[in-house]
Amino acid sequence: MISEAQQSDWFLHHLSQSAGIMPGRGVAWLDALRSDARAAIARLTVLNRKQEAWRYTSVEPLLQQRFITAGTDIGAFRNLDIRPWILPGMDAFRLVFVNGRYLPRLSAVDDLPEGVTVGSLRTALSTDPGRLATWFEQQQGRSDNLFTALNSALINDGALIHIGRHVVLRKPLEIVYLSLDQERSLLVQPRNLVILEAGAEATLVERFVGSEKTTGFNNHVTGIQLSGGASLDHYRLQDESDRTFHLSSISLSQLELSRYRCTHLSFGGAWARTDCETLLKQPGAKCELNGLYTVGDGQLNDFHLRVRHMTPGCTSRERFKGILHGKGRAVFDSHIIVDKDAQQSDAQLRNDNLMLTRGAEVDTKPQLEIYADNVKCSHGTTVGEIDPAQIFYLRSRGIARTKALSMLSLGFAADISNEIKPEPLRGYVERRLLQKLGGEPDGDNLSEHHV
Amino acid sequence: MLSITNLKVSIDEKAILNGLNLEIGAGEVHAVMGPNGSGKSTLAHVLAGRDGYRVTDGEVRYEGRDLLALETEARAHAGIFLGMQYPVELPGVNNMTFMRESLNSVRRARGEPELDAPAFLRRVREQAQLIGLDPALLKRSVNEGFSGGEKKRNEILQMAMLEPKLAILDETDSGLDIDALRVIAGGVNALRAADRSIIVITHYQRLLDYIAPDRVHVLAGGKIVRSGDRQLALELEQRGYGWIEEDAA
Repeated sequence: MISEAQQSDWFLHHLSQSAGIMPGRGVAWLDALRSDARAAIARLTVLNRKQEAWRYTSVEPLLQQRFITAGTDIGAFRNLDIRPWILPGMDAFRLVFVNGRYLPRLSAVDDLPEGVTVGSLRTALSTDPGRLATWFEQQQGRSDNLFTALNSALINDGALIHIGRHVVLRKPLEIVYLSLDQERSLLVQPRNLVILEAGAEATLVERFVGSEKTTGFNNHVTGIQLSGGASLDHYRLQDESDRTFHLSSISLSQLELSRYRCTHLSFGGAWARTDCETLLKQPGAKCELNGLYTVGDGQLNDFHLRVRHMTPGCTSRERFKGILHGKGRAVFDSHIIVDKDAQQSDAQLRNDNLMLTRGAEVDTKPQLEIYADNVKCSHGTTVGEIDPAQIFYLRSRGIARTKALSMLSLGFAADISNEIKPEPLRGYVERRLLQKLGGEPDGDNLSEHHV
Repeated sequence: MLSITNLKVSIDEKAILNGLNLEIGAGEVHAVMGPNGSGKSTLAHVLAGRDGYRVTDGEVRYEGRDLLALETEARAHAGIFLGMQYPVELPGVNNMTFMRESLNSVRRARGEPELDAPAFLRRVREQAQLIGLDPALLKRSVNEGFSGGEKKRNEILQMAMLEPKLAILDETDSGLDIDALRVIAGGVNALRAADRSIIVITHYQRLLDYIAPDRVHVLAGGKIVRSGDRQLALELEQRGYGWIEEDAA
């Protein structure tokens, strides 16, 4: 057990580490943001498993580690060969971060259309902090979250994405976060701001990847704001080493008739958690959250989703699938709140888990909290195994048991993976699933041919 | 081809097969008939290697080998095919990907080169047309949402692709209308060959109007109680199984 004093020591220790020169020092709102966050850390109660948000996920494995704040020096990576980290065939605008620092030379954001700003938050904080002030004010994140506060107190770099009114981004925008330090356990805290103005449309692909032996902590915070009629198709792939700690906190706010669709793909990490809070603030907003996760020996994966219907006529869909093997552990906690005025809300939530071994464990907790009386809401969760009749069927056709299991697991995941639109990402996900589940990836793909 | 001697099989301590004997030569078509619960499907499953059955006595020799010692997939590699009575649905597993994986697993085991995608597609398309399977079903998940007839056609398609030496068709006729029955029987007849044996398991003689068997066996109480030629099937159609069960008792 880690005592309260040890916990607060952990946060203070990481707060006290210098991360080099902080951008935007002296800018009043930014100074206030940082000092408020420090005050929040001092004030907030400690984390423990009596709190609903941490009931099934122990924070102790994380707090037992000490991390070194990643520095601002990018010199060592200036000549990094980025090719091994790029998905073959992925035609995208690209931002590359290594250990939390933006590397312009490895990025590709030259021919962006008019009305689009894509770049480093650090640069924007230094050169144009005034422009960011309003957006940040709307995006304080959950003020009761210690880890978000830790990120805010040391806010330094990340991605800034602003898509102007009615601008449609034809190519996906990709952000690659590389963790490459195998010597030290780094604390990496990217901070992203994604703003889509009215009628803007974009596809955003975020990939967290890195060397196999990294052991750091990625404490990532993203704020997303979708104005009226804006549409964002978002993919988040967390495929870091099986020894890393990963926490993503996402807060999303949606205005009238905006559409948001996110596919969470979580395969890596020793301890990985995603907290995602969605506020449907104006009528007709639609939010679709999909997810696919795998866990094996020594892995914990946790999704905490919170969707709040604040006004009438909004739609939310949640569909998450987990494949658990070895002694893997997963937590799925989804909370849908329908406010009193949010009539004609339509909320559906599903979580299905496939247990490949007896040693795996999942805690799944759907919650609906409904204060309006004219709504359509449903939730369902399942935890099941592969039907032996299915394995027999495949084996009786000459397919070995291990291959049969991976085919059936991939089949289980298919209704999520098949909807991944960028083909290079979909191919990567299918190959990774096979590797994770012990099968070998196939050669050529039949779907490329026509019957 | 296949030689079953004194085969005894139990499920959960309940004896299902009680000393079954059956000899099938190369190129022969045998019909196994019998009332519900007589052990027909158990026989099919034991031959194909399904878990959950305990062989308590007897032996099965297939091309001179001890069949029961082989893993399920190894039996398929050796040329055994079971057309299932209730083909299971495989959500998310693409039918073509599945058939290609199956075919290439068998080909690898036989030391034959794998078929590449274009060659495989040509062949599966041809066979699907012969069997009257809507090509759209090849792109769907295996058996998911298929009608009863479509599932059975999909079984026969797999049989045609795999070209087994011993095919066991477990109530392939059940749930089929007369037109589907004709098409499927045509598919089976097209596969009759001097080096391929077929066991047709059925309740009804109707299927045997289309697939003419060399021998007909009646399974009752876990053993073959009577064997004969096609005439036996016609007799069963008229008189039912009662008289045979009484004779056997």
